Formats: sequence, structure tokens, C-alpha cells
Amino acid sequence: MSDGDRLWEVFARRKRADHFEHIGCVEAPNSDLGRVYAWQTYDEAKWFEMIVVPRDAFHPVNRPEQPFTLHPSAEALT
Amino acid sequence: MAGFTDDELMRKVQEGFIVESEADMTETYKKALITQLTVQGDTELMSAPAYYMATKDAPSTNTMVSATAIIQDEMGHANIAYRLLEDLGVDRDELLYERPPEKFKNPYGFDQPLVNWAELVTANGLYDRAGITLLGDVLRHTSYGPLKRGLVKVGMEENFHLRHGEVWMKRLCEAGGEARDMVQAAVDWMFPMGVEWFGMPDEKKHHNAQLDFKLKGMTNDQLRQTWLKAVVPLCDELSIEVPAHVDPATEEVELEFEFPVQYDPDTKRWLFDEPITWDQVWARWRARGPMNEQFVDWMRVSRYSVEELLEA
Repeated sequence: MSDGDRLWEVFARRKRADHFEHIGCVEAPNSDLGRVYAWQTYDEAKWFEMIVVPRDAFHPVNRPEQPFTLHPSAEALT
Repeated sequence: MAGFTDDELMRKVQEGFIVESEADMTETYKKALITQLTVQGDTELMSAPAYYMATKDAPSTNTMVSATAIIQDEMGHANIAYRLLEDLGVDRDELLYERPPEKFKNPYGFDQPLVNWAELVTANGLYDRAGITLLGDVLRHTSYGPLKRGLVKVGMEENFHLRHGEVWMKRLCEAGGEARDMVQAAVDWMFPMGVEWFGMPDEKKHHNAQLDFKLKGMTNDQLRQTWLKAVVPLCDELSIEVPAHVDPATEEVELEFEFPVQYDPDTKRWLFDEPITWDQVWARWRARGPMNEQFVDWMRVSRYSVEELLEA
């Protein structure tokens, strides 16, 4: 990852009533590029809605160390 | 790292435990997973320049769009594997931009030039089938949760590549004449390449951390047989000759050449009268194929050019 890049977790849902699903992750220096990379990379479905969230904006509730967001190596990257 | 031993983790994953992060891993598990993800990422990545080379031969704008869409997918798949590696503490920039080309872990098949449309679609038909066979098994069996989730997208897209390959192989074969001959010529060198793709036979491989830790479910020979059972009937249907047949008694595919054999990359010919040992196969793989350096260079060439413009 280049200096200044952040990790952007990608969530999407196929249809209006669906739950959001975590479908992957991209890295980008800002949200505009993060959105473009996410849309281009995860194009396996015709998504009804897609959003990106910076990983460092995740605030774990019941598992402060792991498994999804803030385990040690991820911490070191962001 | 986990508070349990390798043996305990092996037992847990065999019972269905899903590993979610480094905190659940042992060192041995992590090492095997990093190797698996590196092979996966490198294979996806180096398929891109190989396919790109032949895309120049696309017969129309539409076919060029399909071919470049496949390249884009492959880059996306590589991204998924490398992203997972970063979460394991691996430096992606170093992997991509600082590793010597010969250290890339892609199969020997993607060190070879693809020089025309027939070779591209045959690669889609045979090599993407190998990809689906290998990654489909990982998707079904892997004990690593993040990889299992990441492979859902990969599986859907690899199926499109495969369909692209098979439909076009059929189209060229039905046209007959030179078009059919070009598919036959492509299959002649790519079929044994595919057989070799799955690695050492089980009888030569006694210990396998990837199986013990359920990073995959099937052995090399089972995966190879799965691939053969798809590819040999396809070629039969197209009246394309391959040195293998389905044994009607067992329904297993049997090879009609002594495997492994030597390959001459300059003439793209398998030397069927020259059986070799697996040590010799490894030596050939380690020496790398003719396009290894070039393909890595294509991926790297413009790395800093835009950054220099932005900083100017």
C-alpha cells in the first residue's frame, strides 16, 4: 500500500430490501478513488446499492481486538 | 497467534472451525496460508499480461471488450488475494514491485507467450478451468473465513471466462480449416501444461499442510482428475485430439503419455519421448518460461510515471 492510502471496506446489496453484505476491500488515497475502485473491482453483480467505509472508522463493540477490523497487522497498516 | 498447537488447530478446522484472523492461527497455519495466497494472487496477476498479449489479436471491437473485461477481472482477483496477504502483515508493494520476476509463484503456463486469438480462447477454456477447479475447491473447503468470502466473486467471474473460452473454441472448430487447426495447435501444447498445473502426484507428496489445515479439500491428483474429466470430454466433443481418454470401466481419465515429460518452450512442443523426473520439472519451472521477465515488466513499467507527474 502506498503512503497516504487508506483501506476502504466495501458493502453492497443486490436488491432494495436486501441487507448490506461485506463484499471486499480496496485501498485508495481518498473516498472518490475508493468509490471508483470499489465499483470497478466488485462488478460481479448489478448492485442496487454500494457503499465504502474507511476501515479506521470501524468501532468494534464487543470484540475490541478481532476478528474483523482492528487486529494487530491491520492496525499497523492504517 | 493462537493459544493452541498445530495438532489442536488441525483437529478444530477438520471439525468445522473457521479461522478469522491471525489471533486464531498457529505459525505453521499462517505460513501455509501465505504461500497459498501468494500462488493465488501471482497466478491471477500474471494471467493478465499473458491474456493482454493475445488480446491484440482480437477479431473485433466486441471481442476485444470481452477479452479486456477478462483481464480486468483477473487483476481484481489478484487484488483480493494480495489484500488478504496485507492483513497477514505481507507488504504488497514489495511483493509486486521489488520481487525478482523469477520469484513470482504463477504456474509455468503463464510464463509462455499467447500469440493469437485461438491461443487466448484455449487458455480461457483450459487454464481458467484449472482456476475454477482449484479455487472452487478452496471456496468449498477453506478454513479461512476471509478467503471463503472473497472467492464468491472470483468464482462467478471465472465461470464467465470459461464460457468465453469454450464458446469460442467451439466456434473456431465449427468454422473448420485453419481456424480449427489453430485450436488443435493451441491444445497440443496447453493440454499437457494443464495436466502439469496441478503439481506433483499424491504418491510423491507425503505431507501437506494445506490439506491438514483445510486450506484446500482435494489432493493434487483429485483436482487433476476433476480438470481432466471436464477438458477431455470438451475436446472429444470438438473433435480436438488430446493424449488422454475416458476409461469407460472406471469413468476416470487416463493419460496416454508418460507423465511428466520435457517441454521445449522455443518450439512450444512437448517431448513425449522424453519422460523426466519431478526434480527435472521443478528445475524447468525454476528456470522460468520465456515471457516471465517481460510479463512482470509490463505490470511494472508505468508504476512511478504518474506519481512523478503529480509531484512535478
